[in-house]
Amino acid sequence: MNDDARTDGGTASETDPGAAAGALSGVDGYRVFLYLGLFGMLAFFLVPIESGLVTSFKTSGGVSGSFPFTPPTGSTFTFGKWGTAFDALGRGLVNSALYAIPATVISALLGSFAAYGITQSNWKPKYKAPILALFVAGIFIPYQAVLVPLAQFWSTVPLEESLSFLWGLGINDDYTGIIKLIVTHVAYGLPICTVLFRSYYKNMSEEMIEAARLDGASIRRIYRRIVLPLSGPMFAVVLIYQFTQIWNDLLFTLVLVQTESSAAAPIVLILAGLGTSLEGQDFALRMAGAFIAALPTLAVYIAFGEEFAEGVAT
Amino acid sequence: MGTLELDGVTKVFPDGDGEVVAVDDVDIEMRDGEFLVVVGPSGCGKSTTLRMVAGLETISSGEIRLTGKHINDVKPQHRDIAMVFQSYALYPHMTVRENMAFGLEESTDLSDDEIDERVTDATGTMGIAELLDRKPSDLSGGQRQRVALGRAIVRDPEVFLMDEPLSNLDAKLRSEMRTELQRLQDELDVTTMYVTHDQTEAMTMGDRIAILDAGELQQVATPLECYHEPANRFVAGFIGDPSMNFFDVRRDGDTLVGSVFDYPLSASTLDDVGDVTDLILGIRPEDISLAGDATGEHTFSTVAEVVEPMGDENTVYIRFEDAPEGETFIATVGGLQQVAAGDEITVEIPEKTIHLFDGTTGKAVHNRELDE
Amino acid sequence: MTRNTDTGGDSGDAVADGGVTENPNGSGFSPIAALNDRFGSDFVESSQFWLPPFLLVGLFVYGAIIWNLLISLTDFNSFGSPDYSDLDFEMYARALADSAFVDAAVNTFVLLVGFTLVTLALGLGLAILVDRNIRFENTLRTIYLLPMSLSFVVTAQFWAWMFNFNNGVINIVISSLGFGRVDWLGNPDIVLWAVMFALMWQFAGYAMVVYLAGLRAIPNEHYEAAKVDGASTIRMYWRVIIPQLKGSTISASVVLMVFALKAFDFLYSLVGGYRPPNGVDILATKMVREAYQANEWAYASAIAIALFLMALGIVGPYLYYQYTRGNL
Repeated sequence: MNDDARTDGGTASETDPGAAAGALSGVDGYRVFLYLGLFGMLAFFLVPIESGLVTSFKTSGGVSGSFPFTPPTGSTFTFGKWGTAFDALGRGLVNSALYAIPATVISALLGSFAAYGITQSNWKPKYKAPILALFVAGIFIPYQAVLVPLAQFWSTVPLEESLSFLWGLGINDDYTGIIKLIVTHVAYGLPICTVLFRSYYKNMSEEMIEAARLDGASIRRIYRRIVLPLSGPMFAVVLIYQFTQIWNDLLFTLVLVQTESSAAAPIVLILAGLGTSLEGQDFALRMAGAFIAALPTLAVYIAFGEEFAEGVAT
Repeated sequence: MGTLELDGVTKVFPDGDGEVVAVDDVDIEMRDGEFLVVVGPSGCGKSTTLRMVAGLETISSGEIRLTGKHINDVKPQHRDIAMVFQSYALYPHMTVRENMAFGLEESTDLSDDEIDERVTDATGTMGIAELLDRKPSDLSGGQRQRVALGRAIVRDPEVFLMDEPLSNLDAKLRSEMRTELQRLQDELDVTTMYVTHDQTEAMTMGDRIAILDAGELQQVATPLECYHEPANRFVAGFIGDPSMNFFDVRRDGDTLVGSVFDYPLSASTLDDVGDVTDLILGIRPEDISLAGDATGEHTFSTVAEVVEPMGDENTVYIRFEDAPEGETFIATVGGLQQVAAGDEITVEIPEKTIHLFDGTTGKAVHNRELDE
Repeated sequence: MTRNTDTGGDSGDAVADGGVTENPNGSGFSPIAALNDRFGSDFVESSQFWLPPFLLVGLFVYGAIIWNLLISLTDFNSFGSPDYSDLDFEMYARALADSAFVDAAVNTFVLLVGFTLVTLALGLGLAILVDRNIRFENTLRTIYLLPMSLSFVVTAQFWAWMFNFNNGVINIVISSLGFGRVDWLGNPDIVLWAVMFALMWQFAGYAMVVYLAGLRAIPNEHYEAAKVDGASTIRMYWRVIIPQLKGSTISASVVLMVFALKAFDFLYSLVGGYRPPNGVDILATKMVREAYQANEWAYASAIAIALFLMALGIVGPYLYYQYTRGNL
């Protein structure tokens, strides 16, 4: 489809060799194909979402009795599935926020520390390279490679006993899972945070840091007074990227919280099993649940699309 | 205030498997209050030298002393040195006032009031008092330059280091700031090491010039000494614009024999030459003058190939009559003297203005005479 | 008169040694000075910033991998704790003899390569379209990238519905075109391609963003020069522009392959359980199933090592490539 558009663009603009720069835009037939391609792709990306959205408002009869992409009509319209999904996922929303927000903030801060310590201080590059390589490689480790030891590790840490005062306050001891998730997500999110901050700090003026040194500031003071205040834009990128990653991750929740019936179950864990039962699948419910689970990240994405794009492109 | 001594200072960078010597055994002694300009072509090691003094580069070997104190291992923040960077390196998120106060806050125990007073004083000196609450992004290039200088002045350090501080300014501002810097340095009387590749700055600003090439110190002397009594061929060619003309010659008895001309020498010049036979004859363009006829022993018949009128003077590319086309040297002659391309002209190369260099080592064996 | 360089009388080394003894830190041996001397002047002072994160990553990532390797050499299963006194490669032998493992490995490989190729191709096409001075560029780009912000768990719900046999959009479209319905998720020969398609939907926007950054980095003169040289648009892209996107292709491929290795979340959510549809079992799902359903910890660890080696095979050369280009 795209190829067609570009083919026509080529032949059309060749007829107009005079406008070398303008030839990339302007010719009508070619523009038509270009926009056909662009909007065709738009449909491709939106149909699954649109179909899910209309389905989530349909009664079970409406789901099986109408096209999946047509909106519900009067008799097949219901908010019921959203209500059921919200009842099932509500506590998951809170639980997910409980670990996603702290883990995001901590991993971004530590990532900034690590990147600063490696990038803007003076020690030999040949020793920095392996440390940096370990951080970079950490981004690409499949989590499966650490799952069994991770479960072993957390089973040996006496979290439940050491936090007994919390359970005394009436908090369900399943919430140890939230603490495990925070620490785990910080540790595995650190590599990407470090690399993102590093690329930012590498482009910061070296002379400015040197000027601060000659002004008598220690490494810690330079971070506190110069580097941190100037890191705002990168913090936006990292926080947004990390938040979506942590919120969206299923594997660690499966290993560290395990059951969707747990009081501390994150939203993705509940959603993964929602609407599937022995009697069959309730797609309207699954769609409504999917949207509820996606709302926080969608909101963040729509509000900060530029930062998100920058995060993924680095 | 302080003296600064560099003693055998060497910087070696690792390069792949080998090493590159960026600064090679440099000795410089600066007296208290001296303005020393370090000049050389790019890559000569001048910035590295400055950065070693600042503590931003480690010293491979040798010693740097600040007012007699060995500072090789002192971290930059404890050296009591202020530096002005080529990019100014202002802190973009701070106002001018905060930029200038930063160093005092970090390196001294002064109270806020004292810091404020010193900042206000310094902005007065620099004429930037009205900019105090602006951020660097709201300033023009010249204003940023002044803030960068102010930030150094307010520290009242033992030594100022300046790394091509004027190179980001346009020509007019640059000459203004040149004067301003000299005035400031006179007034504050702080020992200053100033790195530049611009020889106008070198000639006009410094008490002395240190000329570096390929990491090696070529000469440390006053600007006029460097111009008139260069230590070697490199200095002679580097200082002066248009630069000195050089001719490879061989000494044959009391005559220098070049490829297309002979140049007889007097007894006193021959004394300087001693037994060196491979020589380079150097003559500055302004020392070549037009002569009426080719009868003198130091007059030559030449052809003007290209004439570049500059108004006050003409830069003339000439060649010896017997030389192949394109093999020219440069003479500057008064702007009112009529010379056109293609003219056959006679020029004089007076013996008292010539320089002679050893053809193998490049060392000066004879420099021009000065009437004093 | 002129003052030439006089060669320094005392040797530089002697001076440098003198400096160390004059160290204000005091007399005698200082471990901090020794460390700084070896690693660089800020090594110790900067370690307060990078060392704690580094230890955390070192422990959780690299420590865990080594531990995983150890567990894979034991016979650890069901409950209890691993016995490290008896290490052998039994689990690896078992994996090679297990046809389900071999199938999963093949599926992983096919998914990896197929998914990466189609996603790169679609992403490149999108990037070229978006790069051609269009209106609504920001809106379109935002929508193309939107699926990337969604959880695998969420997109699995959408695509389970899209691929539904009776009511899914895809079957309704193709049956309206006169073709028969296809059991996308039930047919073992097709399901892998269906999953690949869904993953492509999720990540094509990412490839587009990376390519777009690459395209924008190419100076306009290159397009104009190619035009002046008389190249058609297709030939211009093929001969002039696409070869310059090598860097974008490499980094996008690595990230996409790693995403494909992690496709566990998607497959788990598609069915709401450890057992993905027949024909699309990959190492990632098999590993978790062996561990958390069958409690075959040592065997799961061995599969995890296989998966890790696959990732290493992709990332290792990439890191080396970045290192030689001085990007590390």
